[in-house]
Amino acid sequence: MTDPIRELTAQLASDPQSLVFLELGEALRNRGQPAAAYKVARMGVNRYPELAASHDLLARVLADQGDRHAAAEAWRRVLELSPGHIGANKGLAFLAFRAGDPEGALPFLESALGAAPGDEGLAIAVQRVRTALDGAAARAATAAATAIAPLAPSALRGAEGFEPFEDARGVVLLDTQGLRLAGTLDAPDGSDVSDAVAAHLQGVSREASRAARLLDLGAWENVTAESPDGHLLVLPPTQSTVLLLLRDARVPVGRLGLIAEQAARAARRWLERLA
Amino acid sequence: MRVIEPWVAEPLQSFLDESGARLTLLMTSAGQVIAQDGFTRSVDVMAAAALGAAIVASTDAIADIMTTSAFGVVLHQGPKQSLVLRAFPTPRGRWIGLVVFGSETSVGLVQLFFQELAEGLAKAAPPAPATRAVLAENFEYELNASLRSLFGR
Amino acid sequence: MRNLGEALERVTRVAGIRGAMLVSESDGLVVAEALAEGLDGAAVAALAASLTLRLRRTATSAGLAVPHVVQLRAERGTVLSVPAGDDLLLVAVAERDANLGLARLELRQAAAQLGS
Repeated sequence: MTDPIRELTAQLASDPQSLVFLELGEALRNRGQPAAAYKVARMGVNRYPELAASHDLLARVLADQGDRHAAAEAWRRVLELSPGHIGANKGLAFLAFRAGDPEGALPFLESALGAAPGDEGLAIAVQRVRTALDGAAARAATAAATAIAPLAPSALRGAEGFEPFEDARGVVLLDTQGLRLAGTLDAPDGSDVSDAVAAHLQGVSREASRAARLLDLGAWENVTAESPDGHLLVLPPTQSTVLLLLRDARVPVGRLGLIAEQAARAARRWLERLA
Repeated sequence: MRVIEPWVAEPLQSFLDESGARLTLLMTSAGQVIAQDGFTRSVDVMAAAALGAAIVASTDAIADIMTTSAFGVVLHQGPKQSLVLRAFPTPRGRWIGLVVFGSETSVGLVQLFFQELAEGLAKAAPPAPATRAVLAENFEYELNASLRSLFGR
Repeated sequence: MRNLGEALERVTRVAGIRGAMLVSESDGLVVAEALAEGLDGAAVAALAASLTLRLRRTATSAGLAVPHVVQLRAERGTVLSVPAGDDLLLVAVAERDANLGLARLELRQAAAQLGS
């Protein structure tokens, strides 16, 4: 029996412009190959930026990887391209519910149900959310959905106070010895570069502090490095930590300063909760 | 880091921390070693001090011929490591610094922090002791004491 | 022949810019400068070059292309650096309330002019 992934890969190789990447990406997801699925999905979005289905695939892959904010951004893009898209509405509802926001989930579920009124699963989900919003069930659901493992690598991005960074592709928090406290960072190809980047960040912090001091500029506030495929933002939320954010290159430069302030506050709140 | 005179330690440590230098040698213009960091063999220290002092002396001689003021810095740039020799005034006379560094730092940074080192030494130097006649046995005793200080033996 | 003075001048004309300089990136040494009183050109060159190099390595390790602007923001001012070709950086030191948008634009245009 032939391997369907191999067949799909061969089809894509022989015709890179075809839409078979959608099926291939889904097959890779189902087989539990998230990195490969991500590569295919990202390639698809780059090739077909105006195709809702390509963003939908990417969102599902990102959600599998736990990157809720990037997944949400991708699904919002789907809705821009195809208002009423059932998959995107379901996905955003799912993310909201998982983040302990059943009230935020409800409009998306209702929108999906409106587009597919015969979908029993959706009808049940809507009912469940409405019930969850009433009294003790809502509190229990919220508590269960918002339970945070403070030291889990991905916790920083999903933790309370980091909501402003919906489209942050990566967040890493370090101590002064360059050791990761929380967060992850992925390269554009989907590989985890958290530790490699962390190894450089301590040096950046030291250089920035030294330069500001020796040039009589006072305490350093942040350092940004803008490149064609992303902006790096490094800042010291406290005297003993360094935070790095990786933002999409489309983010206006003027916003980076505001993001820096928000990020510093959020990181300090997070550290206080951890202590 | 090893120093002959304790007051050199703090300014030198600050230089080592900031500059990223791999090897550092401070000596008098006669080649007598004052402090070192990064060398593991005394013979290398002695050779480097002698050669470094000679290079600075040769450069001074070239400056005289050219009837220009003395060159402050001599830089030898290599593919993997570079060397800076710099003469500077101290309350104890003219000293020379020899610094070897790699790509983890730059000649600009080494020079920047060397200037701070020179200023730090000028501030930290205590009043010079009264000079006394040097006898042969004193010289050997002092040389051995210097080596012990520099290599912790 | 590249007009270094002209390139630096277009940057220093921006309100709030205390100085601009062309720096050898790998050496951290000044190539040309136009600085106001009180700025240590050698220090700016060495420190800006070192920070830029460090950020470049961080960006590369994150899978990003070489940064086209590096900015250090501090309590009392900002340092900006952009690549200017051939192991050169164009660096500006700005006051806290400088017109950074215009400064960045002039820096990049001056750097492009130098690189051509």
